[in-house]
Amino acid sequence: MSDFVIKRLIYSAAISASLGFAANTAIAEELRFTVWTGSEAHLQMLGEIADSFTATHPDVTVRFDTIPFGDYVQKITLQMAGGNPPDLGWLLENSAPAFVEAGALADVAETLKSTDGYDYADFSQPAMGLWETSDATYGIPFSTSPFLIYFNKSLYDAADLETPDQRVKDGTWTWEQLRADAKDLRDASSGIWGFETFDGQGYGSRVWHTLVPIIRAYGGSAWEGDSCKLDSSLAAQAVQLFHDMVYADGSTVPPGEQGDFFSGNAALTMTQISRVSKLSEATFEWGLAPLPFGPAGDASTVGQAAVVAFAQGKHKELAAEFLAHMTNKENVAKMAAFFPPARKSVLEANSFLTSNAAVAPEQMTFVAQGIENGSVLPSHQRFPQIEAEARPNFDALWSKDADVPATLKKLCSSISPLL
Amino acid sequence: MSAVRKGPSLSLKTREAITGWLFVSPILTGFLIFFVGPLIAVFYYSTTEWNLLSQQSRFVGMANYVDALTRNETFWDVLVNSLVFAAGLVPLNMAMALGLALALSKSRPGAVFFRTVFFAPVITSAVAWAIIWTFLLQHESGAVNQGLSIFGIDGPNWLHEPDWAMVSVIFTRVLKTVGLNMILYIAALQSIPRDYEEAARLEGANGWEIFRRITWPLLAPTTLVIMVITVVGSLKVFDHIYLMTGGGPQNGTMVLAFYIYEQGFKFFNTGYAAALAVVLFALILMLTIVQMLLKASRK
Repeated sequence: MSDFVIKRLIYSAAISASLGFAANTAIAEELRFTVWTGSEAHLQMLGEIADSFTATHPDVTVRFDTIPFGDYVQKITLQMAGGNPPDLGWLLENSAPAFVEAGALADVAETLKSTDGYDYADFSQPAMGLWETSDATYGIPFSTSPFLIYFNKSLYDAADLETPDQRVKDGTWTWEQLRADAKDLRDASSGIWGFETFDGQGYGSRVWHTLVPIIRAYGGSAWEGDSCKLDSSLAAQAVQLFHDMVYADGSTVPPGEQGDFFSGNAALTMTQISRVSKLSEATFEWGLAPLPFGPAGDASTVGQAAVVAFAQGKHKELAAEFLAHMTNKENVAKMAAFFPPARKSVLEANSFLTSNAAVAPEQMTFVAQGIENGSVLPSHQRFPQIEAEARPNFDALWSKDADVPATLKKLCSSISPLL
Repeated sequence: MSAVRKGPSLSLKTREAITGWLFVSPILTGFLIFFVGPLIAVFYYSTTEWNLLSQQSRFVGMANYVDALTRNETFWDVLVNSLVFAAGLVPLNMAMALGLALALSKSRPGAVFFRTVFFAPVITSAVAWAIIWTFLLQHESGAVNQGLSIFGIDGPNWLHEPDWAMVSVIFTRVLKTVGLNMILYIAALQSIPRDYEEAARLEGANGWEIFRRITWPLLAPTTLVIMVITVVGSLKVFDHIYLMTGGGPQNGTMVLAFYIYEQGFKFFNTGYAAALAVVLFALILMLTIVQMLLKASRK
């Protein structure tokens, strides 16, 4: 074989390999989607939604990256700054104003409104408040999830106490009653706590989640406009109740202790419907109840999270298409098993009440009512700074002798300049 | 027969220099790209107002430094915390390392076993170490307080009381890092000729006198190295604080490295965080120079 032929063969092989590589890279596109759940049930459901997208877009795969909740915002911000932004992700309500203001989120309005059968108007307008302006849409809430009380029915039955869902019917389900139940159910000798804070993080990253519902039930609020309201007597009464549960009664898992409701080590906890997946192997009977009433009546609180496409993402159009797919009626109905929807048609359908096999329709009614009556957790463009200023003051609350009203006044004076 | 073309001949010195540069070029390239480059970049970023989230940046000169040093009260609290952490950790770490090295440097039964025991935390994952200690230091169910309760002592909530949190992170950090310094001291002790000690004993010196007049002075170069790396390490501490206290309670364990992280990656004030990083760099550099000057003056 002559040199000429050998060279031609080598060139041909090299060109074919290059073309093949180029063709492969053109075909295989991967959307990276960040989430904060590690639950197998959640990830399996998300995987099914991704598979149905791949069925219509054979060249596209979706990879879900789990980032722990406490580090979530920092990590995706760092990824964006490092030139490796995710294409899509979940975002909490308290991060929305800062991300929208910074231009970090892609406007997906055009894609959503032009997608056949999407029915954009089906989303509840109050639920969309944080995520849209008059001419742009920066995210679609996939979870408008009211806070609920989970209780260990086995412990209630053993103590012969009326359960929270029964008390809801009686109209006697109040925060004072929850306090009394937690005290009665605390069993130090067995390591059973009466009440566990929100995801066990009630003194750290979930301190607002833990205190705001009680404060609202007492008629207070965190802030209104640019005015801090945590120094009001109503807020002080509410926080005092929680403080007494921790220190006077010793019924609530205090800072520096572990007491997991889902392992059976706490009788009550406050969290959202998505945590039901953690009870699939529970060795005890459990039940759900809405948040207790306070002196100001029902003050349902809703945590919200949306699916967003990032402005710096490498596949913006494709990401917007996947966002439209993920939040269409069919997939919202699928996600409703864990994440209460903002789509009115899904929320109002009877099928919503039976969407989660582990949750009885009667219990799902609490979820629907919570969404209907609830208000979203406080958010602000400078929430991270507010959180940082508030943290040492919240820390000061967690000692036996803390002066709750004085500490809340100090907290207000430290965050007021940021509001 | 074709003529052999000879290039200009290089001197031996030049050829050796080229060879030398070629040998060091891989590490030098990495050093320039991954160390010198970012270091210069930090100085530049410290003169900008750069928001990590919006990716917008503008030149502000020395404004970040002025803000940190004259307007931000938290910065001074954080700086004091860093110095308290270093002041607590360095002497304790060095004293323990020296004590352990003196006890374990000679061939005694069990010496190798105990050296391994004290060195094991050094190679243990920092995350695992911090999480395990977080459990051990729980208020009621933690092993430490349960142990204390045997003696009738009601232990504090170690990581959640301002007075105890700093003590707890210092102590657990010392246990994590003391093994490395112990090994350095053991190596130094074993390099001291036995003749000196034998001669001193013949002269009637007791153990303390031998340590004070012979061992300690001969350990001086090692002590300087250990002091420098321990001071630098203590001022740069981050992982331990992040995992055990998150800077709390009440910012009681908020040290400079953690504060820089929060400013840069939580509040997205990257330019400001870069200025704080330069301050930390200057502080470490200054302390290192002071230590070396002190040592030189003693000579």
